[in-house]
Amino acid sequence: MVEKSNNKRQRVERVPEFFINDHHDVLVEILRRLDGPSLCAAACVCRLWSAVARNDSIWEELCFRQMSPRPSLSLRSVVSALGGYRCLYFLCIRPVLARLPKLLWSRDQLQLSLSLYCVHYYERLYVGAWIGDAPPSSLMFLRKPVNVV
Amino acid sequence: MKRDLHQFHGPNTQFSAITGSSSSSVSSSTPACVKDKMMMVKEEEDGGNMDDELLAVLGYKVRSSEMAEVALKLEQLETMMGNAQEDGLSHLATDTVHYNPSELYSWLDNMLSELNPPAVADPVLPSPEINTSFLTGAGDSSTVTSIGGFSASDYDLKAIPGNAMYRRSNQFAAIDSSSSSNQVGNNNNQNNKRLKSCSSPDSMVTSTSTGVIGTTVTTTTTTTTAAAESARAVILVDSQENGVRLVHALMACAEAVQSNNLTLAEALVKQIGFLAVSQSGAMRKVATYFAEALARRIYRLSPPQNQIDHSLSDTLQMHFYETCPYLKFAHFTANQAILEAFEGKKRVHVIDFSMNQGLQWPALMQALALREGGPPTFRLTGIGPPAPDNSDHLHEVGCKLAQLAEVIHVEFEYRGFVANSLADLDASMLELRPSETEAVAVNSVFELHKLLGRPGGIEKVLGVVKQIKPEIFTVVEQESNHNGPVFLDRFTESLHYYSTLFDSLEGAPSSQDKVMSEVYLGKQICNLVACEGPDRVERHETLSQWSSRFSSSGLAPAHLGSNAFKQASMLLALFNGGEGYRVEENNGCLMLGWHTRPLITTSAWKLSTAH
Repeated sequence: MVEKSNNKRQRVERVPEFFINDHHDVLVEILRRLDGPSLCAAACVCRLWSAVARNDSIWEELCFRQMSPRPSLSLRSVVSALGGYRCLYFLCIRPVLARLPKLLWSRDQLQLSLSLYCVHYYERLYVGAWIGDAPPSSLMFLRKPVNVV
Repeated sequence: MKRDLHQFHGPNTQFSAITGSSSSSVSSSTPACVKDKMMMVKEEEDGGNMDDELLAVLGYKVRSSEMAEVALKLEQLETMMGNAQEDGLSHLATDTVHYNPSELYSWLDNMLSELNPPAVADPVLPSPEINTSFLTGAGDSSTVTSIGGFSASDYDLKAIPGNAMYRRSNQFAAIDSSSSSNQVGNNNNQNNKRLKSCSSPDSMVTSTSTGVIGTTVTTTTTTTTAAAESARAVILVDSQENGVRLVHALMACAEAVQSNNLTLAEALVKQIGFLAVSQSGAMRKVATYFAEALARRIYRLSPPQNQIDHSLSDTLQMHFYETCPYLKFAHFTANQAILEAFEGKKRVHVIDFSMNQGLQWPALMQALALREGGPPTFRLTGIGPPAPDNSDHLHEVGCKLAQLAEVIHVEFEYRGFVANSLADLDASMLELRPSETEAVAVNSVFELHKLLGRPGGIEKVLGVVKQIKPEIFTVVEQESNHNGPVFLDRFTESLHYYSTLFDSLEGAPSSQDKVMSEVYLGKQICNLVACEGPDRVERHETLSQWSSRFSSSGLAPAHLGSNAFKQASMLLALFNGGEGYRVEENNGCLMLGWHTRPLITTSAWKLSTAH
């Protein structure tokens, strides 16, 4: 993105071009304000944006944007340990938001999502111990059924 | 082989079975003797031997157990008729007419008009021929009259009362072509057979007629009675009606088992098997499992593993956990109750009677980790049955939970106890610490009902629970009475209960999980129906029964809060949009049901202050 204003063009002969890719922090700030689908689209733009989008704080922001009292810092450590906000968003929060009535995203829904996320993490500890070697997934019910004809 | 000629009095009188047909006993000049007909067998003692349903619709009464024999005889007859060229019986192959029973009136009409000098010989319909000797007993078999209105398109048995639907295309595929070619005038086609009813009035029939039921009907019943019959057509009877018949058959079989009438029960079980196959979806699966369980009870086969193979049952329970919300509901509501009971405590101890894979505890640990004031020290005692391969399965579960606890920074302590039955436990084994330092909760999910088989079992366990002095005792049980003294009542209740349960599973996407869940439930059904005495562990009881038992034991109900209700509602909304699942609050207990039927109940108890 190149910004040029008429004033600047008159005043200065050569304006240093502004590439957003040179300013990661600005990029992060912008991406933090996006909603889920837009963020996912942004993550597909280029490798740099994809890498930046993997920054978990962006997803944290997305998860808790609508919550009025911000959750405690201890939550961050727990969620990071369980796999991070990005996974939490994709596995739990997005399906939960999609399926529940459009209520205010409250602590209850967050609590439910976290519980499910935790169970999911616990189940992954069991990989390989099941008949058929298919890892169990208690979050299967959150995924959209695929029509395999 | 010999043929018998019998007076035909109508469908409700007794006939002897055809024992066979013999070409040797019949001369070619008396085709009257040659005629065979489908005889009916009527049970003298009407013990309730089930008549074959399909033929009953047509007015025949044939016992299902006789069907195979009858079918065999008919096949022999057909072969004989086809091959008996040299005996002068070839006309049978081409001349036999089977009349559509639903067209009886017009057929009779035609018969009557033939008796009187026929005003019109219908030229439009050349063949097929009928034996007028049918009426007069005369010897000639070569006079031919066509029955008005009978054509291939009239093979429409949909008019038969009783809604037995015959799929025309399948059934008459072999016949239609030949019949239509017969219309053109080809008499020599062996397949010129039509259905004919023998339920004609007394005056009309004085001798046996070529009233052999159409091959196709026989074929079908052969199909239903013989195991594999690939070359034959299949009749699809209206499945709704079959569903009703299926339920009636199940009930009748259970009744027979209860009154120890095992021969009847055996016949019914076989019939249930065939009826079940004609259904689809939940009804089919439920009927199959119940039929298998009844068969096991009749033949006194014990279920595959008397001692339930716990690793398999754990896996099955895992899949059940994933497919439907019942276990999740149980865990989340119980956890909410425990969480609220542990508010403000610094050290907590949970004793779990139903350890299995420990799926309940990650969610609780996470909730404790994130609570206000930081997580308490969390101690877990897990009690489970011994593993068949002697591996320390409880220890493994403990290790996984410890891993999780470390990750979320909760101090964790674990102890596993292996016990064949909860009644073997003693409070002293549990190493309880003084209650000032440690708050205890006891949890039991689908375990307490197993104690009801042993006398004194449940009382002992409740005594132990009181000795533990828990802050809260959470109990999750199935909401149905499967422990009555009368077998038939238990059977009826469980049939309804598991039908509802399987119905609710139908909404889940088809997968291995779903199949495993059904197997998991099927094992419960098998135990419930086929076992007795101490082997029968699935002794479910309703909330009111548990309530009275707990109250008389010195426990008082603790109300589950609105948080639990909210969480449960949200959880259910995630499953399939929540259609069908209902959460109800009942005296402080939460019930999860499918439509109007409650299926499982979570309740919480504490020591009543009177003690």
